Parts: sequence; C-alpha cells; structure tokens
Amino acid sequence: MQTIRNRLAMIALLGVMFAPVDQAQIKHIEMRVEGMT
Amino acid sequence: MKQHLGRQSGVQKVEVSLLDGKVDITPKEDGQIDPAGLLKATYDSGVSVAEMDITARGKIVRDAAGDVALQVAPNRAFAFVSNDLSKGLEALASTATEVTIRGQLYKKPAGKRKTEASPPLRLLILEIQSKE
Repeated sequence: MQTIRNRLAMIALLGVMFAPVDQAQIKHIEMRVEGMT
Repeated sequence: MKQHLGRQSGVQKVEVSLLDGKVDITPKEDGQIDPAGLLKATYDSGVSVAEMDITARGKIVRDAAGDVALQVAPNRAFAFVSNDLSKGLEALASTATEVTIRGQLYKKPAGKRKTEASPPLRLLILEIQSKE
C-alpha cells in the first residue's frame, strides 16, 4: 500500500514538473524594418 | 542586426527576411524579453523600425495611471491604446482571466525617416485570440 502511494505521489510530482506551463508571457514578436541591406 | 537582437535578454531565435524587411523573434519562455530593448538594439544596428507587433498572454490590470493594461510579467505591463477591443477587456481588469492578444506595440510616426523609439510603449489591440 505504501509503495502504491509513493508511486502515485511520484507520478503526480512528475506531472506537475513536466506539464506545459501556459503562463503570462510574450509569445512572439514581429518587426518590419527599413534600411536593412 | 541579427547578432544584435540575438544577444538581447530573453531572445531564443531571430529570423530575418531581407526580401520584405521582416524580422521574426521567438522569445525564450523565461519572460525576460524586453520589446523596448529590442527596438533600441535594432536602432543601434543602424536599421529603422517601421512597426513592431507582438502576440502576448497575460492578465488585464490597471496601471498606476489607471489605464487598462496587459500584464505579461510581474514587472511588465503594456497599457492599451483605446479602441473597441480594449474597451471590451476593461471588465476583466484585476480578474484571474488570462487573455492572448495580438497587437501593435510600436509604429514609426509618419513623415519621419528615422526616430528614436520612445518608451513607454502602448499596445494597440489588433486581435483577441483567447480569453480563459
């Protein structure tokens, strides 16, 4: 029983660690520039 | 210019299209990218920025001046240029709702060949991509 709990806890921890983080941030920037050679 | 921009904090990748004068910048996920710094770095490399558009996700807040803004990092928020789309977001100020917005952060003033970018930058919302 203890082993199963440990495994479940480990799976939950890994899930939190590797879940995609969709947090506030700048995702993309596009600039139009002039005078570039 | 590509090297100038690539050295800026928070920049993961820079792609330059010489043909149409377009520069695509992919930020790192550390949230450290600074659009005003990118504008300065571009000017420092001898190139004039005509326009800068961003896609960003964040919460709607009111800044110190009481203007509605998009907070993209704990220490960075862009106040909106007022338009119909920004007015539609005012009700979300200080709520937990996160929005993803595409907008214009800088446009070179008409009639001037080259100007210094002058922060603070304001965000003209072009499209609201999501509200969650």
